[in-house]
Amino acid sequence: MSRGRYYGLRVAVAVACSLILAFPLYWMIVVAFSPRQELLTTDLRLWPQHFTLANFDRILASFPIPTWFGNSVAIAVVVTALTVSVNLLAGYAFAHLRFRGSSVVFLVLLSTLMLPLQVIMVSEFQLITALGIYGTYWAVILPTAASAFGMFLARQFILGIPREIIEAARVDGAGSLRVFLQIVLPLCKPLIAVLTLLTLLSTWNDFAWPLIALKQNELFTLPIGLLYLQGQFGSDYGATMAFALLSVLPMVMLFVAFQRYFVQGFARSGIR
Amino acid sequence: MQISRRQVLGAVGAFSLGAVLTSCAGFVRPASTPATGELTFTTWGSDSELVGFRKAIAGFESANPGAKITLNVVPYQQIYPTVDAQLQSNTAPDIFRVDYRNFGRYAGSKQLLNLEPLLDASVGASFTDALWRAVQFDGKPYGVPHHTDTTAILYNKAAFAAAGITSVPTTLETAWTWDEFEKVALTLQRKLPVGKYPFAYNWQGQGAARWLNWLFQADGRFLDKKLRSPAIDSEAGRAAIDFTKSFFTRKLVPANNSVKSSTYASDLFFSETVAMTFAGAFLIPDAAKLANFEWGATFSPRDKRGGGDLGGNALVATAGTTKKTLAAKFLAYMVGQKTMRDFCATSSLLPTRKDLVAKGIEFTVRPELSKIFVGQASTVRAADTAQVASPAMGAITTVLSDQLEQAFIGGQSTKDTLAGMTAGITQALSR
Amino acid sequence: MLNPSRRPRWVRSTLAGYAFLAPSLVLLGLFVFLPLGWAFVISLKQTNGFGDGAFVGLANYGRLLTDPVFWRVTLNTALFTIIVVPVSMALGLGLAMLMNSVLPVRALFRTIIVLPMVISGVATALIGVLIYDQNNGIANKLLRVIGLEGIPWQSSGPGAFASVVLVTLWWRIGFNMIIYLAALQGVSPELYESARIEGANGRQQLRYITWPMVGPSTFFLLIMNVIHSFQVFDVIFVLTQGGPGNSTSVLVTYAYTNGFLIRDQGYATAIGIFLLVITLVFTAIQWRVSRTRDLVE
Repeated sequence: MSRGRYYGLRVAVAVACSLILAFPLYWMIVVAFSPRQELLTTDLRLWPQHFTLANFDRILASFPIPTWFGNSVAIAVVVTALTVSVNLLAGYAFAHLRFRGSSVVFLVLLSTLMLPLQVIMVSEFQLITALGIYGTYWAVILPTAASAFGMFLARQFILGIPREIIEAARVDGAGSLRVFLQIVLPLCKPLIAVLTLLTLLSTWNDFAWPLIALKQNELFTLPIGLLYLQGQFGSDYGATMAFALLSVLPMVMLFVAFQRYFVQGFARSGIR
Repeated sequence: MQISRRQVLGAVGAFSLGAVLTSCAGFVRPASTPATGELTFTTWGSDSELVGFRKAIAGFESANPGAKITLNVVPYQQIYPTVDAQLQSNTAPDIFRVDYRNFGRYAGSKQLLNLEPLLDASVGASFTDALWRAVQFDGKPYGVPHHTDTTAILYNKAAFAAAGITSVPTTLETAWTWDEFEKVALTLQRKLPVGKYPFAYNWQGQGAARWLNWLFQADGRFLDKKLRSPAIDSEAGRAAIDFTKSFFTRKLVPANNSVKSSTYASDLFFSETVAMTFAGAFLIPDAAKLANFEWGATFSPRDKRGGGDLGGNALVATAGTTKKTLAAKFLAYMVGQKTMRDFCATSSLLPTRKDLVAKGIEFTVRPELSKIFVGQASTVRAADTAQVASPAMGAITTVLSDQLEQAFIGGQSTKDTLAGMTAGITQALSR
Repeated sequence: MLNPSRRPRWVRSTLAGYAFLAPSLVLLGLFVFLPLGWAFVISLKQTNGFGDGAFVGLANYGRLLTDPVFWRVTLNTALFTIIVVPVSMALGLGLAMLMNSVLPVRALFRTIIVLPMVISGVATALIGVLIYDQNNGIANKLLRVIGLEGIPWQSSGPGAFASVVLVTLWWRIGFNMIIYLAALQGVSPELYESARIEGANGRQQLRYITWPMVGPSTFFLLIMNVIHSFQVFDVIFVLTQGGPGNSTSVLVTYAYTNGFLIRDQGYATAIGIFLLVITLVFTAIQWRVSRTRDLVE
């Protein structure tokens, strides 16, 4: 295959853009592994001069990072399991079951995509207070899991499954639940992968709502812990960057491992 | 890890003290309720303050077998949102830490436990008058003054030497006047390299009220004697705003040293962006760790008189606590002579007890600086603290913060700033 | 009770449909629609932190009209949206076209472009704090090295606003690129081939092939980006805290300040509802304007 026109220019632009976009992450890593003093010099140094793990030692000694890490994992996993299964069920219903009011209900639920937590944060806070779950894991999990985003993607994807496959199963006398579990679900693996990845990602990174819903140090998630560390260590950029690096690493690894799936999944789930 | 260590300490303490208590069981009055149960305690703290808190808690737990204090440390900027949310949701901690400026807001809205029936009548007499008054509301104590602190100056010795400034005031009487302070700043400005500034002021975060130090030094007030209406529109108010505004117009402080900046003054000092910073004593342990240069301390400037802020914090119990006796016992323990001395020494803070003030405190880190801060604290007058203890102080701090930000970097004139403060304070008092 | 198999077919399928929907309806009903309804009630109350507050009718909405800070943050939100949305979409499309062409180590380039999207808002903002530190940050050091003055990223309104925009763009471009790339990969290369044979130049190909083919993605991205921009919080909360002054405060940070710091929760909720209304108005207009309705069909 030919390289097409402007090959050299395109490569140059791609390299330049990549350098610019990669720089902040590069700089985070450099600072995380550099001694404090190095940042404070007035001259420009783009390379680390002395490698050190002191920043990591300092934050691990001062903050319950393994606990926060565990909290983030637990909350992300539960939210993902909950929201993905609930949305698959709903997506299937909207894609393949005919029932009264389905289009109205779909539109109503779809409209919640325009209404994220920030708009109703005060009443959501009063709700979890009334439910007596303020300050617990559930206060974070339940409102976060209540998202129709996956439902919309699931409907698009399941619509793509040929009707004949489903009709054939129906003729064999399979009920809706059996069709869903035995026919639809196995075909949905790419969708489930995408939804899982997206939900894990957004829950892991969620900040505003856990900030409001959590009160106890031992239950903090990593982003809240990160804010805490910043307040505590202020100008100690080495420490903040070391923690920032630790907190983003799991998602970066997940992304690098499943990137192909992620991109393809987007294309196949109907956002054309 | 820390929890398990605390548990171990508690268990050891419980064992040995249990033996002691059994042997003198005859002295325990049958009527007194045993101090057992769990208290939750929400606080923020610097590293060394947290060490101090944990040590004090371990001490209390070993002195009171069966009592357990669960410490919940939250980010400083989240302390009041967290406590408020907990109060609103009836999941409040039994004990929390509150600064004197926010104390009135909680006491005034009936969120705190009246300690009068629970504490010994003599307890009040052990504190300095100004600080015991700072935890009163409607004539009753709603907390204990745990420690105080005030603002003095930390300076970079090398930067001063390079500018030819060889000595700094070592007594309160010779503290720089505003004019002298300004001269020092201008001298530094001439000698410092580009991108470095003479000083930074610590009015960020919840610290906008530290601006009042200038007002007090000019012998001004922001509330009238009855504490019912604003009194800031005065000669002293004008002088304080003009002078502090000039820090920015003359570039004596970095542009990002304004009130709402996300960069704290101390961070500008540690990163050697400024040659001196206004700071509370609580920063000394941090400075010892974070500043990679020689530094010393001196007094805040004075104008008509010396002045400082009523820094520091009270410990309070919440009105809804189900363990009133235990809570009161814990508070009393925290302000006991030995506990307070240890805490203040470890964390570089100033005591509130008369006996400790009389004896003086010696900080564990840089003990020679203790006298600067103790001396500076003596410039805080009861008339100043009475204004700061107003229940409207929380709202007034917001007004100060908004107006000063406008004056410092929004180009708002002194006249408009005074008018804005007056209007804002009036509104705050009426809420 | 009726034997289920004797029920009419539509009754059975309706029951089945709602059975599948039940978990969603419960979750969304309880944690989205209930708080939404409750928000209208709260917005009619005046509260000062503790207690239930008193009903004050529409006073909170009236206060919105006369609150200069509210107008300022609305303007900031609009400005932020107007800058970030088109720029991030244009850059996203440009990069997607680049990544859809023949390049060496294309997968590596693509990974680098998309990577910021998996970094949390807080970490992103903290990297921003590091880079745009006015005194010691690498951005100003770089500017000084090439002989320019450092930019007052923290102490001037425009500087701070620029830092927020730059950080957000870095964070958002990957998302736009990935969606556009997926769309471009669905465009048959023969289309371009035949266009080229007919003599269409690059710009014409963009105008008449690429742009129409990625139309649905543009529609989707426009909605997602605008909603995202209306609701920006994390980056601003951590990077500038809305300062200096109120120059980077936006609707959500202002609502948070009112709701959880000042604890005037009635007023905070009124701000939230205003945000909801403009979001809905925008979406309705967008829906009308766009002929692409395959999102629901």
